[in-house]
Amino acid sequence: MTEPKKLTRLQAIILLVALILTLFPIFWIVMTAIKPPTDWNASPAIWIPSEPTLINFKTLFDPDAIRAYGVGGVSQAATSAVIGSIIASVTATLLSVSIGLFSAIGISRYAKNSKWTPLVILSGRMFIPAAIAVPFVIIFSNIGLTDTYTGLIAIYVAITLPFSTWMLKSFVDDLPREIEEAAMIDGKSRLAAHLTVTIPLIKGGLFATTMFIFILNWSEFLFALVLSYSNINTIPVQLAKYVTATAGTLYGVQAALAVLAMLPLIVVGYFIQSHLARGMTFGAIKQ
Amino acid sequence: MSKPKLELVALRKEYDNGAVVAVDDIDLTISAGETIALLGSSGCGKSTTLNMIVGLEQPTSGDIHVDGQSVVKIPAGKRNIGLVFQDYAVFTSMTVYKNLAFGLEIRKKPRREISKAVFEVAELLGITERLKIPARELGGSELQRVAIGRTLVTKPDILLLDEPLSNLEAESRLAMRRELRRLQQEIGLTIIYVTHDQIEALSLANKIAVMNAGKIVQVELTTEICRRPGHVFVAGFLGSPPMNLFQGRFKHHADQLYFEHGVFSLNLSSTLNLVSIPSGRVILGVGPESLRLVSPGSGDASGLVSRVETMGSERVITVEIGGQAVHILDSAAVLPPRTEEAVDIAFDLNTLHIFDADSNLRIDLHETKVDHCEPAN
Amino acid sequence: MKTEASSKTTTIDQQNAVPTPEARGKKSGRGISRYMTVPGLLVSLFVLVIPLLVALYMSFTNWTPTRGTLLEANLIGFENYSELLFWDNRFVHAVVRTLLISGICLVLEFSLGLGLAVLFLREFRGKSLLFSAFLTPMMVLPVVVGYIFWMLFQSNGPINQILEIIFGAEAAVQWFRSPNHAVAAVIITEVWHWTPLFFLILLSGLKSIPENPVRAAIILGASPGQVFWRVVMPMLKPVIIVAFIIRAMEVIKLFDEVFMLTRGGPGSSTETISLYIYKLAFNDFQLAYAAAAAFLVLIGSLTLIHLMLLPVRDRLLEGNR
Repeated sequence: MTEPKKLTRLQAIILLVALILTLFPIFWIVMTAIKPPTDWNASPAIWIPSEPTLINFKTLFDPDAIRAYGVGGVSQAATSAVIGSIIASVTATLLSVSIGLFSAIGISRYAKNSKWTPLVILSGRMFIPAAIAVPFVIIFSNIGLTDTYTGLIAIYVAITLPFSTWMLKSFVDDLPREIEEAAMIDGKSRLAAHLTVTIPLIKGGLFATTMFIFILNWSEFLFALVLSYSNINTIPVQLAKYVTATAGTLYGVQAALAVLAMLPLIVVGYFIQSHLARGMTFGAIKQ
Repeated sequence: MSKPKLELVALRKEYDNGAVVAVDDIDLTISAGETIALLGSSGCGKSTTLNMIVGLEQPTSGDIHVDGQSVVKIPAGKRNIGLVFQDYAVFTSMTVYKNLAFGLEIRKKPRREISKAVFEVAELLGITERLKIPARELGGSELQRVAIGRTLVTKPDILLLDEPLSNLEAESRLAMRRELRRLQQEIGLTIIYVTHDQIEALSLANKIAVMNAGKIVQVELTTEICRRPGHVFVAGFLGSPPMNLFQGRFKHHADQLYFEHGVFSLNLSSTLNLVSIPSGRVILGVGPESLRLVSPGSGDASGLVSRVETMGSERVITVEIGGQAVHILDSAAVLPPRTEEAVDIAFDLNTLHIFDADSNLRIDLHETKVDHCEPAN
Repeated sequence: MKTEASSKTTTIDQQNAVPTPEARGKKSGRGISRYMTVPGLLVSLFVLVIPLLVALYMSFTNWTPTRGTLLEANLIGFENYSELLFWDNRFVHAVVRTLLISGICLVLEFSLGLGLAVLFLREFRGKSLLFSAFLTPMMVLPVVVGYIFWMLFQSNGPINQILEIIFGAEAAVQWFRSPNHAVAAVIITEVWHWTPLFFLILLSGLKSIPENPVRAAIILGASPGQVFWRVVMPMLKPVIIVAFIIRAMEVIKLFDEVFMLTRGGPGSSTETISLYIYKLAFNDFQLAYAAAAAFLVLIGSLTLIHLMLLPVRDRLLEGNR
């Protein structure tokens, strides 16, 4: 037993400054999202809106709503982007985690660890997306998958699969084999043992992995950007489009969309924060 | 002995605002050149005591004197007291040389002086050939040597060892025990070490302080402690198997003194001075070597054999007497009894130990002649 | 240890002639379970390996979408590669710039993350709440981070406002007009976004460091600074390397934030490798050339990361047991 040390005054101040720097950008985007159009681009910038409003959020789904404030230029609702993001991320996450789960059990229980596996998996993550996107666009345009959710989901599954597999494997590795063997002595087949014993025991890990993969999919930008023309849309693509909107900068509406995009991730992130290190480091760092 | 090197004065350590008392007002005096063992089971406060002596923890109250000066206000690392951890805590990222040199490099000593000191200590500990090797590649007893050497290089006044042998294999444990004894003779260090292993304590220390529940229950020379355990705890802790303890009372009856146990009764008049003994509750301590198996009907108490264990030339026989397991040390040469066999046991009345049942302290009535636990060499 | 134990049980069970799951498994093959990794392999094959092979083939051609199908394109050997390496200044600059930005970002993120992690070893009220708060930036999606900082760095934005208050009216900066300031803006954005990851990894590393070597160093007379640099840091090394690799892999791909902040401008002063390849492929339609650039970068970064990985590969493996 040793007594933990307390913060000194200087350290407390440093911590406070760091906290302010960390939270200020979040504060700013939230404030902008509830600013009325007159406050959007005021000079000097307005920190806290005079009359907080939800008009920006309303405009996301009803482009005409902002007209009442004399602002034009919102030509397209963000509804399709929100729906598109949900379709692509949720489907891709479920697929990636299901496939990853089987691979994880398979590798953990039946495969010998190769010294090179981590490196191979890491290299998969290192290939620059802009470059993988090139052959995808070519192949997809030949088989009619460009500008479809099927195509986008296929890519999302592929690029998140190493993460889901490796993260789940680290949870399966934590379980002693004997647990499944006990079930098999009771007459269950291997597969049944995995389904009824292994999977329920890593529930927590499965949830954390699902959430982690969801964060990755929901955040993805580049593939959506190069594979979408008119049929598919996601929030990040929509956000990028707004930046170059001809009608000047639609700060408030964009901020509202940004808040809408990051809110679920922050919530999900807090739920799985104890597993974040494991996910980010391919299970090299547990805790 | 010479003047006191280290004195603990009413040393106390509480945790959680007094909810837990780890060390309960202990007093202890250690002379220069002495080797003292703090003996006790885990959680008795011995490690906390070491931590306070070395300065890793601040005492709640009480004082620590080194050469008559209080050191409580001096930070750890400036007290010139070394500590060797149970898990050695060797710096695995460094070579053996760097480990040994650490304390002197910290003190910014000149390079030549450092290497001279390191080689001296490495020589002393027989790890000269290992100096260039990364410490993480070493085995148990070598790690131990590095940990001790790392401390010796800084020439500490007092060396504290926390369970120095418990992480070692049986073989290296013997070798290391010999090694430690040699060191202590060659350098003449003052050594305090903590252990839960009585054989270790008996073979290394010249004085033993037995700790229980944060208190020191007895401090005695190693040669004396087995002969005259001063406390019920010490009696029940030392020896293998430890002393049998019988709760009962003394009764005077018709000029005779009896020990009444409930299941059996002993007439002690022949051995004890009748006058000085009060009636009342006592605890009778009988070493397993002071009991003999005799044929039924001829002994002092009777019971059933529940277990027979032969170890080398000796045999431990466990007999259930009135629900209490009583250990008897017998020669393995004779034919062992069968389990469940009804036997009688006879007490050697000249080697009894008597303790007050309330204070648990020893009542001295006569000189005990037999060593209850001989230090193994 | 575990395998030893389980193989021991097997031998004992076999002696007793009781069919163990192990033995049964051997007889019946391993059932369907043996094929559990197949779906994952198939996905990887079709959605990663094949496109990569296509890209590799493409990088040796002079194909562009205007020249018929890929199969009709001419093979030109290593021409794209030599062009990139010896003649394409914009590519070389993008590589150097990306490495520079990555290096600065990693050093800053590491230092800040380490400092914060060390503070979190101390005891204070509201620690778990603050821990969550400090992790927030890494949960925000990169595009949104890019957009937020694009707003913050506007000439009439809050950052300039604060600079004016502290350093006077001249301190305001046209962040996206000057190359140096634009690069600084990119770095600040990146550092804000990913310092929490270093903080997270280093804190979990610091917490798992055994206490006794630290205490031993204190007793040997080391000051807190000496304890930290001589004892704690060497023990933290594997974790630091893991953190660096993970971050290096991502920062080398830096795209989303820059796309939102500057689109590589002004000029090409903030153009990263990713952005350059993106522009080559999707603005200029030089697909084959872009593919060659991507492979060059892959080879480069693989080598780099392999070198970083060498000292800790065993630990990484152990983590994945």
